[in-house]
Amino acid sequence: MTGVLITHADEPLGRRLVKSLYHDPGVASLLAVGDGPAPRAFDRFLSETPPRLAYACVDLARHRSVADLFHARRVRDLGIDTVVHVPRHGATPGAALAAGVAERTAEARLVLQHSLEVASIRHLVALGSAFVYRLEPGNANRLDESCALDLDPDVPAEIRAWIDCDMLFHAEIGSERLHTALLRVPTVVASGGAIYLNPALEGPPRPQLRPLGFDPLCALISDKDVAKGIQAAIERRARGVFNLAGHELVPLSQLERWTRRPRLPLPGSALRWAARGAALLGAGSATLDGPHLRFGFSLDTTRAQRELGFRPGYRIGMARSGDGRSRLETSAL
Amino acid sequence: MSERPPILLDGVEGETIPLPPPGRRVLGGDPFAEPAGPDPFLARLPEPTPQPAREAPPRRPAPAPPRPGRRGAPPLADLEPPEPRGWLERLVDEDALRRVSALAGLAETGSDYDRFGMSPRALRNSLPFFLALYRGWFRVQAQGHEHLPRRGGAVVAGNHAGLLPFDGAMAVLDVLLHSDPPRLLRTVVDRWGGSLPWVNVFLARVGQVVGTRRNLIDLLQDDQLVLVFPEGMEGARKPVTQRYRLQHFRKGFVEEALRARVPIVPMAIAGSDDQTPILYDVRPLARLLRLPAAPLTPTFPWLGPLGLLPYPVRYRIAYGEPLEFHTRFGPEDAEDPRLVRYLANQVRRAVQQLLDRTR
Repeated sequence: MTGVLITHADEPLGRRLVKSLYHDPGVASLLAVGDGPAPRAFDRFLSETPPRLAYACVDLARHRSVADLFHARRVRDLGIDTVVHVPRHGATPGAALAAGVAERTAEARLVLQHSLEVASIRHLVALGSAFVYRLEPGNANRLDESCALDLDPDVPAEIRAWIDCDMLFHAEIGSERLHTALLRVPTVVASGGAIYLNPALEGPPRPQLRPLGFDPLCALISDKDVAKGIQAAIERRARGVFNLAGHELVPLSQLERWTRRPRLPLPGSALRWAARGAALLGAGSATLDGPHLRFGFSLDTTRAQRELGFRPGYRIGMARSGDGRSRLETSAL
Repeated sequence: MSERPPILLDGVEGETIPLPPPGRRVLGGDPFAEPAGPDPFLARLPEPTPQPAREAPPRRPAPAPPRPGRRGAPPLADLEPPEPRGWLERLVDEDALRRVSALAGLAETGSDYDRFGMSPRALRNSLPFFLALYRGWFRVQAQGHEHLPRRGGAVVAGNHAGLLPFDGAMAVLDVLLHSDPPRLLRTVVDRWGGSLPWVNVFLARVGQVVGTRRNLIDLLQDDQLVLVFPEGMEGARKPVTQRYRLQHFRKGFVEEALRARVPIVPMAIAGSDDQTPILYDVRPLARLLRLPAAPLTPTFPWLGPLGLLPYPVRYRIAYGEPLEFHTRFGPEDAEDPRLVRYLANQVRRAVQQLLDRTR
C-alpha cells in the first residue's frame, strides 16, 4: 500500500489521475495539491469517512510553501511515499508567457528538490512532454526514449520549459535514494475535446497561424491512458524514461478541425518574421512557429509495454453527443 | 555497337565490372537467362566471423511486441473489387484499384494513417495520376518480379537518376502492380525533400519515408520492402556524360540489412538517366540557394518550371536475384567497415550489371 501526492490535481489531468488512483486498491491515501480551491469533483471523495483523500492549496512555484507542504505532519500521517508531478499544462491565464514558462521549471525543481529531501518519499513519477524531442525534417520521426532532445536555441519558450523540466528529472533517473520515472506523453485528449500538452493547441481558441504546406502528424493519447500509465509506474516502482502513446495518429489539420481551432496558413518565411517580431515584443509563442508545426512524430512505446505493461485502452475520435453536436470523445477499446 | 569503357569500382583498384560482349543485344534481353560468370571478388571475400555453436539466432536483437500496423495486405484472391469513387477512379482498371485498396489494412488500428504518415486513402487518390505516368508517359516494362520476396523485409537497392524522383515512383507502382499479396515499396527519400512544404506531406501520405537510419531500421523491423538509392543525390544530379554509370554507393543500407537479417534485391531502372539530361550542374549557385542541384538542361531554365518535366522516355525495370549476405554474415559483421564497404560494392556491381543488360 502506498500514499501518493499529486501536484496540480485541480487541473483536468490531475483530476483524472486522482479519480483513477482513488479507486486503485494499491493506494492507501492521496494528497491532492492544487493552486486553487478543491475541485467539486473531489467533494464526494473528501466527504468520505475515514477520508482517503486530502486536498492542499499550495503555490508550487514558491520555495517556502513547497517546503511547508513536504515537511507537513499531514504528509507523514498520510504515509506519502510517492510523488506524482503533473506539470502545469500551460502558462497561467493572464500571466505573461515568460512568467508561466519560468513557473513550470521552478515547480519541477522545487518538487524534485523536496522529494529528495524528505526521507519517507522513495518514488517520483513525473509527467513530461514528448515535444522535447528533436524533430528531423519529414513526417516520419519515430521517437524512442534514447532520441536526442531539441537543444536548439531557437526552440520556442514553452517547449524549452518542457525540456528544462525533462532534464531536471532525467538527472535523477540513476538515483538510488529516489526512484524516478519520467513519462513522456504526446498530445493528450480528454473526453469533451479538451487538448493538453500540445503547444500548438493549448489555451482558449483564438485565431492562429501555421506554416503553409506542412501538416505534421500528431500522436494522441487519451487522458485515461495517461492515468493508466502513471498508475502502472507507481505500482511497479518504475525507474527511467518511458514514452506513452495511444493508437491514434492524426494530422494537425484534422486535429484543428476536430477541436474547431482553424489556423491561417502563412508562407514559412513570413511566419518566421512574425515569430521573431512577437519574440521581440515579449510575446513569443510556440503557437507561432517551430519544428512541431512542420514535422510530425510517433512514439515508440516498446519500453513502456515491456516494463510497465502499458497498453493503450482507449481510442479517440469524433462522436455525436446527446444534443446532436459532434465532439471529440474517448472510448474504451 | 561501340565498345563502352570499363567501369572502375570504388576502392577496388584495377578491377572492373565485366560488360556484355560487343555485339550482344542488350535491349529487351532477359537479364537472368545466362548464369553469372565466375565472381572475380569471391576470392577476396573475407572469411565470416566464426560463430560459436548455438541455437538459431533470433531474427531481431530484441523481439519487439507486435504492432497494430504490422500485418501485410491480404492475398489478391481474397479481395472484393472496390467500388470506384469519382470519375477519375473509373478510368483505373479494377485490378489496380483492388491492389491499392488492399493496402488499407496497413494503417494503424483505429487510425487512418500509419506511423510514418502513410494514408491508404491518399494512395488511392493519387493512383490515377501515377498510373497514367506509368502506362502512358514512361510506358514501363519490368521483369524479375519473382525475385521480390512475397513476405518479410528486404532492401531493394536501385540506381537513381533524372533529377526528379520519378524512378522511385515508378518502382513503387511497379511493385504494387506485380506483387501478390500487394506490397507497398517504402522509398527512403532524401532529407531535403522532407523539409519542403507540400512535398513533405505528399511523400509521407503516399508511404515514402525520410532517409534517417532510424526510419530504415524501423521499416525493416516491420517486415517492409524498402527501396533505397545508395547513390543519393549524386545519382540524381549526375551529368549526361555520366549516364548509366553508377556513382559512389553509400553503405548504411548494407549495415542495416545485415543487422535486420534481410536480403538485398538489386534493381536497375533504365530510362531515368535520359528523362532529364543534365548538361551542367552549377554547384556554387546550388549552394547559394541551398538547393541540392542547380542544373542546366536542354529545357531548364529556358522553359521555366516546365523545363523540369521529364521527357517521355521508356522505363525498363529489372530486379536481380536477392543478395543474401545475411546468410553468411551475422549482425555483428555490420560493425566491420571494410566488409560493409566491400558488400556495398558487391551490390553496386550487381546493379551496374543489371543496368547494362537492361538498357
